[in-house]
Amino acid sequence: MSAASSAPRLSFLQSCGRVFSIFFAFGRRSPRFKLYFVLSQMPVVIALFAQVNQVFQRQGMQSPMLFFSRGIMSFDLQFLVLLLVLFYGTSICLEEVEGRTLMYLTTRPVPKAAVILGKYAAYVLFLAVMINVGVILAFLVLNIRSLGTGAAYPVLFQFMGVLTLAILAYTAFFTLLGTLSKRALALGLMFSFGWEAVVQYFPGATQRFTIAHYLKSLLPSQTATGGLSFLTYRLEPTAPLLAVAVLLLLTVVFLAAACLVFTHKDFILSTD
Amino acid sequence: MSAVIETRKLSKWYGNVLGLSDVSLRVEPGITGLLGPNGAGKSTFLKLVTGQLKPSIGRVLIDGQAVRNNTALFGRVGFCPEYDAFYERVTGRQFLTAMLRLCGFDPAETTARAEAALDLVELRADQDRPVRSYSRGMRQRLKFAQAVAHDPDIIILDEPLNGLDPLGKRKVIRLIRDYRTEGRTIIVSSHVLPEIEALTKEIILIHQGKILATGDIHKVRDLIDTHPHIVSITCDRPRDLALRFLKEDDVLSVNFGAAPRTVVVETGNRDRFFGRLPGLLVELGISVEEITSPDDNLQAVFDYLVGK
Amino acid sequence: MIRDRGYFHWDGAFVERRLPWWPITRQGLRLAFKMKLFKFFFAGSLLPGVVFLAGVYISERLEDFKSMVRGGRVLFLTINPAFFKTYYTIDFLMMALVVLMLFSGAGLIADDLKHNALQLYFARPIRKRDYFLGKAGVLWFFLLILTLVPGLLFILFKLVFSGSFALLRSYPWLPLSVLAESLVLTVFFSLYTLLLSSLSANRRYVSIMIFGVYIFTDVLFGIFYGLVRSPYVALVSIKANLQQVASFLFGQAPAYAVSWVYSILILAAICVASVLVLNRRIKGVTVVR
Repeated sequence: MSAASSAPRLSFLQSCGRVFSIFFAFGRRSPRFKLYFVLSQMPVVIALFAQVNQVFQRQGMQSPMLFFSRGIMSFDLQFLVLLLVLFYGTSICLEEVEGRTLMYLTTRPVPKAAVILGKYAAYVLFLAVMINVGVILAFLVLNIRSLGTGAAYPVLFQFMGVLTLAILAYTAFFTLLGTLSKRALALGLMFSFGWEAVVQYFPGATQRFTIAHYLKSLLPSQTATGGLSFLTYRLEPTAPLLAVAVLLLLTVVFLAAACLVFTHKDFILSTD
Repeated sequence: MSAVIETRKLSKWYGNVLGLSDVSLRVEPGITGLLGPNGAGKSTFLKLVTGQLKPSIGRVLIDGQAVRNNTALFGRVGFCPEYDAFYERVTGRQFLTAMLRLCGFDPAETTARAEAALDLVELRADQDRPVRSYSRGMRQRLKFAQAVAHDPDIIILDEPLNGLDPLGKRKVIRLIRDYRTEGRTIIVSSHVLPEIEALTKEIILIHQGKILATGDIHKVRDLIDTHPHIVSITCDRPRDLALRFLKEDDVLSVNFGAAPRTVVVETGNRDRFFGRLPGLLVELGISVEEITSPDDNLQAVFDYLVGK
Repeated sequence: MIRDRGYFHWDGAFVERRLPWWPITRQGLRLAFKMKLFKFFFAGSLLPGVVFLAGVYISERLEDFKSMVRGGRVLFLTINPAFFKTYYTIDFLMMALVVLMLFSGAGLIADDLKHNALQLYFARPIRKRDYFLGKAGVLWFFLLILTLVPGLLFILFKLVFSGSFALLRSYPWLPLSVLAESLVLTVFFSLYTLLLSSLSANRRYVSIMIFGVYIFTDVLFGIFYGLVRSPYVALVSIKANLQQVASFLFGQAPAYAVSWVYSILILAAICVASVLVLNRRIKGVTVVR
């Protein structure tokens, strides 16, 4: 009997854990991670700019929390998270296919689903750390005068929770896209900046066909009024608990579908 | 000896392109050479055997178990791919360690095995350099190392000697031969026939997705009735020998070779010819320098079967 | 005799006229058109040109389209420099240019870096300049189809439909403005795309950067403008800078009260930086330690 057959058989969770630790270590060393980390601190730059601007205007910011929720959170939710998650989410499968390293993973005694879940966990951790660090620092900069009161901290935690849910749901969706199509990036851009942006203007139940709707249902919002209100985005929010449940359900469904596709699909690697 | 790897009516299409057609064979412990030109279907076959591709028709079994998505089997299989692909920014040691951790070994054993594998392929001195800085030969050796580091008893090597210098090739060939003596099952694919001839006599010949022949190279040669065997004899009196051969009914043709004092004979019955040859030589008092069979080799067998 | 051989460069004389960059451009165009999704996007990006061309037609048939004229001024149907400036600065066209650059340009240099193909290029008798021209040629083809060609067609069809040279008599500099604006957009977007493509061997990463940097500067402008309400913040945005230059070239009032000179300087600085970085990044041999 060979020594390989005497190696302990890993459980599914252990396999996920091994994949997670390997790709967390690999990704941490990547220059791309460092660049994305720097980019994800843009909210801090914006917050610093806002504070410096207030200094020159010689008055305190009227509502730092309003700027935080309208400016910083919108920037993060509608731009930063989408771009970073699009890259990392599609990379879970596509970087192995494009780099032709897929066989190293699929000829090891780990289930293919564990490869998807392990990498998903590693990349979600990267994204959550990158984005939440930027949000926390931006929050601290904007509320520097009122840090001692503690009134705003629940709002910060609420926003961090929403961002984390956004990362979970979008990464799962783009993971599925990456297993389905080599053109996942183009499709992801159309989804993020096309579908998600446009459909939110539609009334009624149509909004519920976007992930952004459920995320925004968890945040304070303001509906526009007046003659041009039909042109502005108009949220018809879902109840918060239901929104959280839907987001988590979508995450699970997308991940399960991604695991299924990855397990059964033949990936033809280019031979050039 | 029972077959370790078995395929039953294995076929694979890529859209409308036939990659492999109706392959049924059994691979037993030892070294088996998988031979064919580029595009013959060797890599497709190996990917089916290692579960990377799903068969369009048929089955692949290892010890009676289906391969596809059977993670229990992969601990016993080591695969060295043909193409050059790595996680470029990690070091050789980190790469090997990661692959071993996926096999289920604990950290201490992972480190020990990684070091042993690096020693085996003589990459220990370069283990802490990123893989992207490795030369072609170093990368090939690292690929071989990841295939054997976890001590698999089935080793699948797709063009393992690509990119190696002659010394490197000799070392890898010696390593592969050592694995055979340990009772492992090894499939080595190549389009370079002398490399396979140096390793084994058991071959699978593949061309345009179909198996042309399997088995011992010499027995396969004997089975090729359509091509007479060629025997070349260098001696002191070639013309006397040629005259005597013309009287034998199993001799189909006699020519004089390009080399001096050489007569080249085509015979339809190799065994009968060699049975009578010593007697003939003694009868004529001919002094022989050399007897060879120019077409009793893999290249000739392949050319005959492919129809060149 | 055994010769001592090493690397050597071609030092012969070329006896015939050559366009060394043309095979590179041709190959790039072929590869771009092989992608189905690209063909779809390319077709879609022609939409603004078609719509504006319809506007040129309608402007000569206003009597027949009275329902569109109801209510007074119809800016869209008056063919003047503002019409051209509107075409060159609408969001749809700008986004279409970025998406086309993403599809056709992301892999131009990134794929060569990934497959170590630069050595193959420079082992032929081509210079760095030919390599850049060849790659840029791919992008210029698409950019000029969406900028110069529609602009000239608008002028031509207006002259044909109106049966007079009134447009050119009123605005004799208009064709030059169209040419200048097309050149600004073409040169900027091609250098912007090639710069990002040369920074990584991963085409997906480059695609994200091409799209992300463009959108990011605009989002940042929106946020900063909301804070300080200063027109100078527009200089942060690539789109706003391009709009400022377009306004100047077509003699229109700029959207933001900041001199177009600053905008052109910023765009020029990006182009110069691109050339410098490309010159550094594109080498026949790379040593990896």
